[in-house]
Amino acid sequence: MAASKDALVDPIFNNNPIALQVLGICSALAITISMAQTLVMCAAVIFVLGMSSLIISAIRHWIPINIRIIVQMIIISSLVIVVDQFLKAFAYEISKSLSVFVGLIITNCIVLGRAEAFAMQNPPWLSFLDGIGNALGYSVILILVAFIREVFGAGTLLGYPVLATVGDGGWYQTNGLLLLSPSAFFIIGLLIWVLRAWKPAQVERPEYTIAPNLQYSEHYQHSKS
Amino acid sequence: MNLRKWLDRIEPKFLKGGSLQAFYPLYEAIDTALYTPGKTTAGATHVRDGIDLKRIMITVWLAAWIPGFFGMFFVGLQANEAMQTLGQTELAGWRGWFLNMLTGFDPNSVWDNFLHGFFYFMPIYIVTFTAGILAEAVFASRRGHEINEGFFVTSILYSLTLPATTPLWMVALGIVFGVVIGKEVFGGTGKNFLNPALTGRVFLYFAYPAQMSGDAVWVPVDGHTGATALGALATDGGYNTSWLTAFIGNIPGSMGETSTLAILLGASMLLIMRIASWRIMLGCLVGMVAMASFFNLVGSDDNPMFAIPWYWHLVLGGFAFGTVYMATDPVSAAMTDRGRLYYGFLVGVFCVLIRVANPAFPEGMMLAILFGNLFAPLCDYVVVQNNIKRRKRRMAHSG
Amino acid sequence: MADRQFNKDSVRNILLVAFSISLICSVLVSLSAVILKPRQDANALLDQRRNILVAAGVLSEGKTENAEGQGIQEIFLAEFEERVVDLRTGDFVDSSELDRNYDPIKAAKKPDQSIRLSADSDIALLLRRENLTSIDLRRNPDGSIRQVILPVRGYGLWGTLYGYLALQDDYLTVAGLSFYSHKETPGLGGEVDNPNWKAQWPNRRIYDSTGEPAIRLVKGMRRDDYSIDALAGATLTTRGVENLIRFWTGELGFGPFLKKMANRQGAVSL
Repeated sequence: MAASKDALVDPIFNNNPIALQVLGICSALAITISMAQTLVMCAAVIFVLGMSSLIISAIRHWIPINIRIIVQMIIISSLVIVVDQFLKAFAYEISKSLSVFVGLIITNCIVLGRAEAFAMQNPPWLSFLDGIGNALGYSVILILVAFIREVFGAGTLLGYPVLATVGDGGWYQTNGLLLLSPSAFFIIGLLIWVLRAWKPAQVERPEYTIAPNLQYSEHYQHSKS
Repeated sequence: MNLRKWLDRIEPKFLKGGSLQAFYPLYEAIDTALYTPGKTTAGATHVRDGIDLKRIMITVWLAAWIPGFFGMFFVGLQANEAMQTLGQTELAGWRGWFLNMLTGFDPNSVWDNFLHGFFYFMPIYIVTFTAGILAEAVFASRRGHEINEGFFVTSILYSLTLPATTPLWMVALGIVFGVVIGKEVFGGTGKNFLNPALTGRVFLYFAYPAQMSGDAVWVPVDGHTGATALGALATDGGYNTSWLTAFIGNIPGSMGETSTLAILLGASMLLIMRIASWRIMLGCLVGMVAMASFFNLVGSDDNPMFAIPWYWHLVLGGFAFGTVYMATDPVSAAMTDRGRLYYGFLVGVFCVLIRVANPAFPEGMMLAILFGNLFAPLCDYVVVQNNIKRRKRRMAHSG
Repeated sequence: MADRQFNKDSVRNILLVAFSISLICSVLVSLSAVILKPRQDANALLDQRRNILVAAGVLSEGKTENAEGQGIQEIFLAEFEERVVDLRTGDFVDSSELDRNYDPIKAAKKPDQSIRLSADSDIALLLRRENLTSIDLRRNPDGSIRQVILPVRGYGLWGTLYGYLALQDDYLTVAGLSFYSHKETPGLGGEVDNPNWKAQWPNRRIYDSTGEPAIRLVKGMRRDDYSIDALAGATLTTRGVENLIRFWTGELGFGPFLKKMANRQGAVSL
């Protein structure tokens, strides 16, 4: 059971697809402007990633090696189209603001990455958990980013006012930068910083090290004494 | 020398193992600000010049006060003129408390004008300095390096790029962003690839556009609006001032950028003392003139910005200030001589390109310099690679 | 087991897998699209009606029911009526002639259903204008016209603004303006969504005494029947809004229609 627990939990903080592998950034930038959009997007990704991993893993012994990527893509894109259709039918407002980004789940590196790297080699249940786990890892980061962007960018959370903005006669001056997509870069960067301070094992080995600057600090203290 | 003795006596507390070890950077900052640093090089001597980082930074800092003083005067002058037009004789708030006590609001009095502007600039500068140095100190303590003199320059340049009416909490937020995201996350002074002062400024520009642009923010008088010359050009297509007025600096704009005259004085100081790179400044100028002339030649029926000649580009907006003080930042600019020319040229070209072609940003110097910063390593790379190729060829010929 | 002989990379299996996966997936996708289509269409219609109700001031932004708890459809069907107007003549035309899925914005791209605008007249930067468009009439309980809601659009700074302009029963006075889709800068041009700014629109008059479109977006404190505050720091959005209102109330927009209706004021029974 430890393996399945690892498959589910590991991608959330220890091997986060966004924070460690830096995949799936495109949608993370575009849709995190509001929490409602983000939650719907996350639900869509969780569904697609879980189901695609499950299905691909279930038929992995039959998938010919030469056309495996195409088969994976067909399964993933079908799932995405179905999700898109459901959103248009049951969450029209949000699907309108998510616009193309639901469709772009197809090209989200995380989905194809898990299919190719995990589901093709592992049994269905484990693959399903791995898919869900990775989608949760994606979701955790997105929800954090969306929280920061919506609260400090618009003064609202899920559309409800939480900070009284100057525009509404309150005190909080909304931060327009957070309403622009590039701000998600900063926030994701800062989140990675926090995560790596918390789990130093994730820090990459520097490609080279700069020789210590002897002029300062330690040497300084030696030369004085 | 009692102070020296006292500093030496308390020093062990700040060294490794001392009770105040975490505050070593603060101690070091105060010590070296008061006295010549006691450190000497350990290896072979390699002195090439009597100048050091500290002196470079202090010179730039001093030079930046020239447009600073001009800026304060013109902010005050415009504010007093606006008050006279609107019939206001007193200023509300704490600024008003000081000013009503110390001086009047007569636009004909140099002293009144200067003091009025001073009371807008100084609070911004003090807040910038305090907030920024605190952010630096936190990182310096955690990482065990010194607080760098570079911040003196960052703080004054950042303050000078702000409109006089910027709320002080915004000033603080912007400089903290500039110092942390623009510099410290990359490892501190010398390792940043963006100009920290401009990083802070651009953060404010995108985060709080209503307080950083438009026509109500430049002259600090309620109910008075005055667009920057570039803003007016972008919207109405005509100059709202004469060239000479713009050159001298009596136009609305960020506090330090308006007076091209003062900036030229500062530039000559930096160039004579060989602090700033003339290649960068020349590159900027040539790039700007080239791009402006190109647009003049192309022409446009519906965009009046195409027709702005280069000598207007020179005196409007932040071009002169950016060229002299911002683009020449030795850390974020290109490092090779030839690379500096390329880099400067790129900044000049992009400044005019953004001003003329982008409908949303009538001023483009800030973005152009940051853009140039990103390309600076590439400029160096090209220069170095070309050099290597040339030498190889020479080797091949002679061998 | 048969698996021992099973070769998943045989040509036979490749074809088989490719075929069956394609078949299953296409059936799945088609089914979901077909089954959900009516619901999606209903949603699109509901969304359009909600935007109309917002412009008419019946609903506030983001709400789906009014203070009395009536839903969008309920309010819309009780008070509103969609009509088709020929912009060339300014007359109503029979809506039954139109395709049920007729979309004026798409029609503006088709040469046979639209006219090309000359550079001088195209102040809203639309390139082409459709010939037929649909408007909505809001009626009082006694059947008389209360408001008329016109679709408007035009280019701002970053893209086209889409919205509805609601006029009062005299066809000359604004009742409200609301944009449902735009790409303007948050905090500057994006302030077209600010309720305080939108609150200035009601009771502005769209034509001056000579019958020319007269709505202006101006800076400063000037107050007259035609002036709205410009958006601070967003000159090009401001200009875009002014131009699109002037275009759609002008001769190439709803001008002929509005003037005809205003002349027949009171005698409108259609």
